[in-house]
Amino acid sequence: MNLFFIILLILFSSAILAFISNRIVRGSSGIIAFIGITAASILFFTQLSIGSTYSFSLGGIQMQFGLNSFTYLFAIIVLGLGVMASLYSIQYMKGKERLGYFYFNFVLTILGMVGIIFSQDFITFFIFWEIMTWSSYLIVIYNGYSVSKVGIKYMIFSALGAYAMLTAIVSIKGIYGSFMIKDAMAAGAFNFTDHLYIPILLLIGFAVKAALMPLHVWAPKAYSMSPMSFTAVFSGAMSKMGILGMGLVLASIYSHASPEDSVNSLILKQVLGWLGGITAVMATIYALIQTDAKKLLAYSSIAQLGYIVVGLSTGTQLGVMAALFLAVVHAIFKGTLFMAAGAVEKQAGTTDMTKVSGLIRKMPFTFFASLISIIALAGVPPLGGFVGKWMLYESLITESDSYFLVIVIFFSSTAAFLYSYRFLFGLFLGQEEKETEHVKEAPLTMVIPMTILALLLIVTGLYPGILFEPIAHGMEYLGYSNVNWDMSVLNNIWGEQTNMSYIFTSIGVVFVVVILFISLKGYKGTRNVGTKEISTSGEIPLEHENLTYQLDYYKPFERAAAPLYKRSMNKIWNDIGNALEAVFNFTRRIYTGNGQTYALFVIIFLVILLIFKDSLFAN
Amino acid sequence: MEDLGLKIFGAILTTIMAFAVGMTYGGIVRKLTARVQNRFGPPFYQNFLDLVKLQSKKTNIAHGFMGHTAPVWIIIASITVLMFIPILNGNLWFPNLNFHGDLIFILYMMVFGSLGMALGAGQTGNPNSAIGVTRGLSMMVGYEIPFVLALVALMVQYHTTSIQDLMQIQHESGTWLIFSNPFAFLAALFASLGMFRYSPFDIVGAPAELASGPMSEFGGKYLGTMMTGGSIFSFIKLTLYVDLFLGGAGNPDHIGIWATLAGIGVLLIKTFTLYMVPVFYGWVSPRYRTEQAIRYFWGWPTALGIIGLIWAVY
Amino acid sequence: MVITPIHYIVVPLLAAFAIPLLVKIHKELPRIIPGLVMFYNIIISIVLMQQVNEFGYVSEVIAGWKAPWGINLIITPFSGFLVSLISFMGFVIWLYQYRFKRVIDVGELKSYGILQMMMITGAIGIIITGDIFNMFVFLEIVAITAISLTSFYRHRDGAEAGFKYLLIGGFSSTLILLAILLLYTQVGTLNMAEISEKIHLVPQGMKATILVLFIVGFGIEAEMFPLNGWAPDAYSQAPGPTSAAFAGIVVKAGVYGLIRIIFTLFDIEGAFDFLIIGGLVTMIIAEFSALKQTNLKRMLAYSSIGQMGLVLIAFGIGTKTAVFAALFLMFNHAVIKSLLFMTGSILMYNSKDKTISTLNGMGKKLPFISLLFSLGAFAIVGLPPFSGFWSKLYILTAAAGEEMILLIGAILAVSIVEIVYYFRVVSKMYFAEETEHITIFKPSVNAKIAMGILGAVILIIGLYPDLITGYLHNAADMILDKASYIDFVLNSNAPVQ
Repeated sequence: MNLFFIILLILFSSAILAFISNRIVRGSSGIIAFIGITAASILFFTQLSIGSTYSFSLGGIQMQFGLNSFTYLFAIIVLGLGVMASLYSIQYMKGKERLGYFYFNFVLTILGMVGIIFSQDFITFFIFWEIMTWSSYLIVIYNGYSVSKVGIKYMIFSALGAYAMLTAIVSIKGIYGSFMIKDAMAAGAFNFTDHLYIPILLLIGFAVKAALMPLHVWAPKAYSMSPMSFTAVFSGAMSKMGILGMGLVLASIYSHASPEDSVNSLILKQVLGWLGGITAVMATIYALIQTDAKKLLAYSSIAQLGYIVVGLSTGTQLGVMAALFLAVVHAIFKGTLFMAAGAVEKQAGTTDMTKVSGLIRKMPFTFFASLISIIALAGVPPLGGFVGKWMLYESLITESDSYFLVIVIFFSSTAAFLYSYRFLFGLFLGQEEKETEHVKEAPLTMVIPMTILALLLIVTGLYPGILFEPIAHGMEYLGYSNVNWDMSVLNNIWGEQTNMSYIFTSIGVVFVVVILFISLKGYKGTRNVGTKEISTSGEIPLEHENLTYQLDYYKPFERAAAPLYKRSMNKIWNDIGNALEAVFNFTRRIYTGNGQTYALFVIIFLVILLIFKDSLFAN
Repeated sequence: MEDLGLKIFGAILTTIMAFAVGMTYGGIVRKLTARVQNRFGPPFYQNFLDLVKLQSKKTNIAHGFMGHTAPVWIIIASITVLMFIPILNGNLWFPNLNFHGDLIFILYMMVFGSLGMALGAGQTGNPNSAIGVTRGLSMMVGYEIPFVLALVALMVQYHTTSIQDLMQIQHESGTWLIFSNPFAFLAALFASLGMFRYSPFDIVGAPAELASGPMSEFGGKYLGTMMTGGSIFSFIKLTLYVDLFLGGAGNPDHIGIWATLAGIGVLLIKTFTLYMVPVFYGWVSPRYRTEQAIRYFWGWPTALGIIGLIWAVY
Repeated sequence: MVITPIHYIVVPLLAAFAIPLLVKIHKELPRIIPGLVMFYNIIISIVLMQQVNEFGYVSEVIAGWKAPWGINLIITPFSGFLVSLISFMGFVIWLYQYRFKRVIDVGELKSYGILQMMMITGAIGIIITGDIFNMFVFLEIVAITAISLTSFYRHRDGAEAGFKYLLIGGFSSTLILLAILLLYTQVGTLNMAEISEKIHLVPQGMKATILVLFIVGFGIEAEMFPLNGWAPDAYSQAPGPTSAAFAGIVVKAGVYGLIRIIFTLFDIEGAFDFLIIGGLVTMIIAEFSALKQTNLKRMLAYSSIGQMGLVLIAFGIGTKTAVFAALFLMFNHAVIKSLLFMTGSILMYNSKDKTISTLNGMGKKLPFISLLFSLGAFAIVGLPPFSGFWSKLYILTAAAGEEMILLIGAILAVSIVEIVYYFRVVSKMYFAEETEHITIFKPSVNAKIAMGILGAVILIIGLYPDLITGYLHNAADMILDKASYIDFVLNSNAPVQ
């Protein structure tokens, strides 16, 4: 049997097994899911070679599985994060209900994504896309009925996107006669010259998963309300499926753009770029007023995806590279952060930052992982996040037409410092409260994946080349030629460069020297104190005195940016929803329940048809 | 090996110079401020005395890991940025790592220290520190906008993101960028008001209200080290401005010892003049609240920055 | 014994008459006999489908009167497919209702079994007969039995629904009869093949009038808007198995009638566009109404109407892919909607009142039923990898082939509405807090098996649609190939045996 099928079958059977096994041995599902995903990953990375394909036919439609260097990049994200998250999940989900159900859908989501990566034709792509969607929907509503509204919203938007995509897919088939992605790309199906609606519909479909404004409204709650071990995958890997699709479409548009197309693709560039930019800004300023760490991270995810879209929209080598690099790095750090939030939730009972604080001494490893990830998220050197940001800025600055976009992006990433700090401060720093005295570090199997991912961020900062290599291959598949990259030097097209190894050297040397100095100097005279021993103008704070600062954290900023908070996309969509409900209510009243009315309908219909029979039923 | 030794020597020399200049400037400003307020004021070398006092304290209060490492972060940020910013144009005495990082990197590296200090301040558990940090970060969102607008304008106008190249362009054309894009300079100048945190933008520390804001829990060796970092940092900011807008200092054609000393002299004059702008502005202004400060930066300075960017493009 | 198409008609009829006698022998017999008959139907279908595969057609001449004078029964790939589907559904529905709780009284049981069996026989008859008047007779059988079954529970609502059905169904019969009458005056024959051959002789105005009468008449049975007022009431008031039978069997016969008339009898192009528009309006209005329902069975009923609208659209597109898609959808609809009605009526039976809001926590109380209901819901909205996905995909492909982009948009927009109301129910079942404790009537084993079979069909076809696509392709070819149908019936109508 073919290797593609074997991998999918391993995942499928471990999903089924996970579902059943929980009835036999409680809590065993998590281990089975982990083993299944790990086995699939091992098989994938050791046995499957890039470029291999396998064709088959189902339902009279030619289908093809295959692996190309572009999708391989996403396989790294999906499987890497999948293994980590499922390892983390074992302890995180321990003692919860319906584990079988959870892991069934968890593995199925991974299966869906792996399937998408394998797909070489639109039908398998769509099938796995939908499997991914409904299985993730089932997890979103896992936390109870109060969440099901969130779930429905997620499902509606996903369906909207998926069906936009399906329309485009069947149109491509109708026009070009093939479901193969490669054929469509070669035929220029995504170009603007003939059928403008095809690329637009496809992009809408992908934009939903990539949580792009104005189709993002499902994301904040869906991300924050799912179990965190799943959200790590949800936000880290699944959103990247949207990026995968967008990458395919955009690359094909830019690399096949004919001269008469250039105006259209310029408009597309601008529209997409600005949508991404606005997404980033709005999500960021909403992130920084959240009091729940999970929601903060959810909004932050949307903002980060906005950057990625901006990078993709440039279509330049550096821009696309930045986007893909950010996609990988975002998967790593956002996965870690959601895991960290989950660890806090598990250990302290809540992630509400007004309720927990000062966990740094109790959960040092979780803090370490969060710290590294936050540094990467904020784009502060020298970690992987900075590399991505650097390339993104350089690509925008060196490219004409997008100077103001740079400012928008910069605004958003500066404001991102606010919520980055808020996350660390809210959960780990600040006063140590009585309520959190009992809190202990998360179990080992939860700490290990977080730590591994955090270390990866350091490695990607020092040697971004290890990611550049697969990215460059992927881009060559998309039609970019001569993608150049260095192991640890970043270049822009004007010839300027930033050398990560020098930065690391400088930071490392100074760090060692100064930390030695500050630790050794007066070592004996250094007194370690808790958070209660602080200078309060000579007064000793009483037991009940509140020294915690968590409420209205960024009130001054909120006041300054008040106009930005006024309009909410959510409200607009709600209005649309209400208007539709009214329409539905109206149509329902057509069925009066009265037999006479129905009879009247029949007669009227008959009479109308008889009157217009000649025009309706002409030969 | 000799080359490496020279490099390390140069790096240490740069650091010492930056430290000394930064501390002295701070002392001079203290003296001047006092005179303006009709006080006698401390001597200009008071900052050095303070540092010695702080470093020689016997007991130090450590507030956990982040509190302990906060000064380290600040020093890392200052020295690393210093290494990547050209002090003198084309001078071999301070080559450091000038060619290995560009403006975008500098821009981000400058935040590193603030973030480290913010984390350290956060761990102390003093609510005043946290309040100070939130104000500082919020205000940063304010002044970074005009600052970045100005920098992007420069980068776009001259098609380079390297500070060294920008200096070289000014040297070759003979015109300072302050004249070829005055709007960008003005925007950056306004931004610098916020960066130096003098009045009216001193709400972060807000003496008499927040104790000293983020710093309030630090003392002894910690405060001393932070002060060192801060001094280096103010020198860096001034040098960056001089490099970008005021033509930099030094002449790549003459690299003898006297030319170098002359270059340093020019640098000192330029930086000091520039430094006086926020100081003077501070003397005559009351304090803004945070949201007022942010609004201030998003007003005229941003408008000037946008004009500068448009100027640069067309 | 040689199996011929007449067995479809004769065996159930004999059984129906025998039941009142057999009940005297053993009171369990009225339960078992319909099952045996249904099972025999499946055997007939298998045998006949094999013959169809071999010879292309099977026909039987009744009493030696050859076409066009006598009545003859014709099994083509198309009608054979539908008949097999109906036989299969009939058997599954019997399996499900065997020991159905409400039917305890032997007297009622007797009539229930007879009515159900007659309804299925009528539906099969509509499909296999080659004579249009004969078709009308079978349609009457179906209508009368369906109406009786609707008001089978002798309470107020059931009676009301039955009356509405009777009222509208009366229109249907009258109009069809009138149409047949007019047609006979014009062409002088009742044989469909011969009518088809001679239809071009009919004057245009007359032809259109006859077509309108047919469309309205069969449209009522096929639940076309605005002729479907009876349907929601009938579906929701009828016993569970009957609702399933309505969705799986009766509607299929109605649609068959409409399709036969439009595709074979007449040669009017406008009728296809009319089907698209009629189907679209039906679908949109029904699905919109479904969203606002509070009663689960009513919701399913509206959804069923909407699906039939989609079938009409697919037939209206008229290309081979479209007809193939329509047949696939009919198959899916029969299986999935029956499963939904079966599980839904058990869920309803266990809830306090019949509203959706009392379904809270059913996932825990009735795990198997809830799971199957969810499976059905996922399948009917067209999520892969369930069977519903394929039919939707083929319909869209067909529409895209004709560049009907707005139609695709409308179909998919309505699908989103479908998702909303089905997923609302599913999430309620599994994730809402249980409101109060009620004793659960567990479904019997045979019902579970019946539903399990349908669930398995959904999954298997979803994962491997090639199992039935071959038959569907043959059937689709058949519908579009009018000439060979005529040729076969009129010229070489020697029975196979």
